[in-house]
Amino acid sequence: MAFNFNWSPLIADTDRVRDMLTSSLNKSPKPPIIVDDIIVNELNLGSTPPELEILEIGDLAEDRFRGIFKMSYTGDAYLTLKTRVQANPLNTYLSTKPSFASPQPLAASSGLTIPLQITLSDIRLSGFVILVFSKQKGITLVFRNDPLESLKVSSTFDSIPFVRDYLQKTIESQLRVLFMEDLPAIIHRLSLRMFSPEYQTAENQEPSKAGADGEVPVDPFAGPAEQPVDSAGMPLDGSAPFTLDAPTETYASFSQKNLLRLATLTESQRTLSLFTPSMRDTVYRAWASAADREVANGASTPMLNKPPTLSRIQSTLGSQGGWSSAASQTSDAPSALTRPSLASFSSAPTVYSLSSGAPRTRPGRKRKNRVVNLRKDKGDGKDASDTASVSSSGYTASASGSAGPSVEAATEPSSLPSAQLMREGEINTPPRSPKKKVGFQQQSVDDTTRLPRNESTIRGRPVTPQTRHASHLQEAGDNDATPRASMILPEKPDIEEKRSQRPRRQPLPRMQTLPDRPRPAQLHRSSSSEVSLQNLATSAFAGEGSNGGILEQAWMMKMATEIARKVAEEKGKQAAWRPTADGNDGFGLGGAGGEAPPAYVS
Amino acid sequence: MLEFMDYVQTAFHAQSRWNIDNSYAALTTTAQNLLDFRIPQGLRLHVSSLSSPSFATSYTLGSNGLVDGSLSFLYSSSGLSIASKSSDIRLEHLVRGYRRLQELQRPDELHWNEIWHQGKRIDRKDALLYGRLYLPGSTLEALYLRRISPTRMLRLSGVSDASLPNGGSALALLQNDYGKYSTEYLYSTDSALLGLRGLYNFGYDPRTLVSQQPQHSTRAPAHPWDHQSGRLSAGAEAYFSPINKSGGVSCGLRFTTLPTHTGFPYTMTLTVNPLMGNLSTTYAVQAGRYMALCSRFDFNVYSYESDVVVGVELWRRKQAAADVAWASKLVRPGWSKVVEDDVNGVLKAQMDDKGKVGLLWECRVKELLVSLGAGFDLKKRERMLGSVGIEVSYSS
Repeated sequence: MAFNFNWSPLIADTDRVRDMLTSSLNKSPKPPIIVDDIIVNELNLGSTPPELEILEIGDLAEDRFRGIFKMSYTGDAYLTLKTRVQANPLNTYLSTKPSFASPQPLAASSGLTIPLQITLSDIRLSGFVILVFSKQKGITLVFRNDPLESLKVSSTFDSIPFVRDYLQKTIESQLRVLFMEDLPAIIHRLSLRMFSPEYQTAENQEPSKAGADGEVPVDPFAGPAEQPVDSAGMPLDGSAPFTLDAPTETYASFSQKNLLRLATLTESQRTLSLFTPSMRDTVYRAWASAADREVANGASTPMLNKPPTLSRIQSTLGSQGGWSSAASQTSDAPSALTRPSLASFSSAPTVYSLSSGAPRTRPGRKRKNRVVNLRKDKGDGKDASDTASVSSSGYTASASGSAGPSVEAATEPSSLPSAQLMREGEINTPPRSPKKKVGFQQQSVDDTTRLPRNESTIRGRPVTPQTRHASHLQEAGDNDATPRASMILPEKPDIEEKRSQRPRRQPLPRMQTLPDRPRPAQLHRSSSSEVSLQNLATSAFAGEGSNGGILEQAWMMKMATEIARKVAEEKGKQAAWRPTADGNDGFGLGGAGGEAPPAYVS
Repeated sequence: MLEFMDYVQTAFHAQSRWNIDNSYAALTTTAQNLLDFRIPQGLRLHVSSLSSPSFATSYTLGSNGLVDGSLSFLYSSSGLSIASKSSDIRLEHLVRGYRRLQELQRPDELHWNEIWHQGKRIDRKDALLYGRLYLPGSTLEALYLRRISPTRMLRLSGVSDASLPNGGSALALLQNDYGKYSTEYLYSTDSALLGLRGLYNFGYDPRTLVSQQPQHSTRAPAHPWDHQSGRLSAGAEAYFSPINKSGGVSCGLRFTTLPTHTGFPYTMTLTVNPLMGNLSTTYAVQAGRYMALCSRFDFNVYSYESDVVVGVELWRRKQAAADVAWASKLVRPGWSKVVEDDVNGVLKAQMDDKGKVGLLWECRVKELLVSLGAGFDLKKRERMLGSVGIEVSYSS
């Protein structure tokens, strides 16, 4: 990554900087020796820009940037200040003392004000600086250490060595304070004035209003701006434009489909509708915590199934996870940026979805079935819940800065609903999505051939593993065959049964009201639920298209039988089972599994 | 207007026969009285009392900030027989105006103060204790005066405040007044400031005339500068602070007319600060019994800054009572009248060349002493009236 500083615009617009510097110098109470305001006479930023060396980039997006740099400046910038000082030391001394116990001299304390002009030049700076750029919040520049190395002070008192040395010493100490404390505030305010219209004065807002109130249509395939632009899209002067040669292609952050789904989601929440649209390209917090648990449980070879073609994106994801960790470590202030940035990462359409099922390959994981599936054929709620749980787990995992695999694991499920939705092309209707999920579970029957099959599946249809994964989680872990509409977290793999069968599959932990149950190894087809499962699986699988394959179907059947067995086991325990609302889950168990549909569809 | 406590303090000085005008610090008293008068800020109420000839109390309440005030107590070892009721105090004693200097007096002999009783000397040195507590600011001021000898006085003053460095400071001042000349030595704990002042009066030496009353009009001039009805004084001061390694020097000259002068009494002063190049000259004249005028000109030879201030003081005469007006007209002009108190108000005004005007009106209303002040800034078009204040004082 290289930075090109266009230093000349900085020189051009120094009036505002001068005014801000003047006001900030006069804001704090002045010592009595300075009798007049301190006025910045001249500010010249020189011809050479500072040299920046990137140490760390914590956050990178179209409208956000955060990094740690090593800065060194050996340019010829200079600053000239003008003020008046009191030359009578007795005057300064007595003016601050109460008059009752003061000697009250007759004329010995009469004052003499001398105009003073100070020029600071030959500034040598070297230090670590944290630069945070955000379109909404402006630029923040913080020095981690004292950057001032040396400074040359020349004034009107240069002919008096005592005064010259005193001035040099005092101004050096004051400048250190200025760099550490005042300069970030000044730059922040200056950048706010440039960036956001509400901070601009009335006359400055005229050109920005022309830009449709700051809402410029975003070109989905445009790279980040070459030059910092204000909300009107016009390049702002006074800021150094920089080119970012990011390794990842960040696409448009706004997807019309997602916006539509967000609108539907809010609609559904307002109208008590039982339908929750699934949102593709989203990461949910619960997914990350589930992925964390999986990581803690000792996933093995998470990268096993990674297709080689996706290695670049994998590394991207890994580095992004590293960035987020760096971001969280280095500074507290932009921590808010890491969160939306991660959301934006996950919103990238295809990047994450191509990551393979690393979370699935944890044979030794005990799957936690926390979602009780009371519904037989509830559709979209399950789909949404899958989406929700998977996304959330992915979000939390990446937010905590866990390793790449967990990020992938978390983000994997996000492609599940997206894949479904991609296929459908429309917002899911409730009955449709669980069919697909169950269909995926049927593929779990045959695990031996699952490995290559999955890979092909992944390549052919990027989201298939996710869909299969989530649906299989739901089916395997539930009491009932009805998929939950609430968050579906990656399930822990079943202890013994699943280890051999699905070595690669990394189930996301799911929130379930039931205690951890190992997933049923075999799905019995005895109960009607399994029959319905089969039907759902078949229909879902049929919807998948040709990519599903026999393997997946077989696996789904196997999962269905397992679930049926578990159901049979649980029915014996369910005599004393009473519906409890687990704080975490928020589910109310409606008695025996499968009988009462939950009323909590989110 | 003098506050009640300052009024009591001057009465103490007068009672103990101390000439406060014979000091270098009092060289420009007249000009300061006429030009640098304090304009009240906000609302202030003073309630004071001389509960006994030796004890005085005063309470003030002001509107600076939300509410502020002070309590002050004064103790004098020698009883002060002064009029303390606010309806009785002469306005001339309270309102400082043109300071008419008297002839130099010979300092008292030491044995004049001795009081013997039953073979023992029971006279005590005059002392004054004064304390003032400001609330809510929690500032404490303290003063101790002691007349060590007829020619020597010790003054200890201190201020204690948490906001000051070292919690406060104290000042010790030793004044010697020998009539013809006077010296002062001072030390301040704040940055260890050492100071020295001296004043020398040209003219005759009151100590030389022992036996008879000095007859100024018949006395032959001792030297060409010996103006019979005027006095020339010269003085200097120097300060040095070993901690700050800083100091200051100034010198001054004053010529004032004595009461034997025919014509309007006037006073001229010149003060110079050689280090800073400051020159300040004043000229004050009392043009009539009820009016005084003064002007001051400051100039700096290094920075060429200059200032001109003019001031006027007008006294308002009491209107004669209607029923005796006819009688007072019949009084022959030669007959001297013992004028008790024929003024009931004074107006002071000062103006400088930068457009700043200060007005002060002090009068007695029934039993209260009221002073109204206003400060203007004529250069500011939009906000001419700067500050207005009123002070009401009552004493018993």
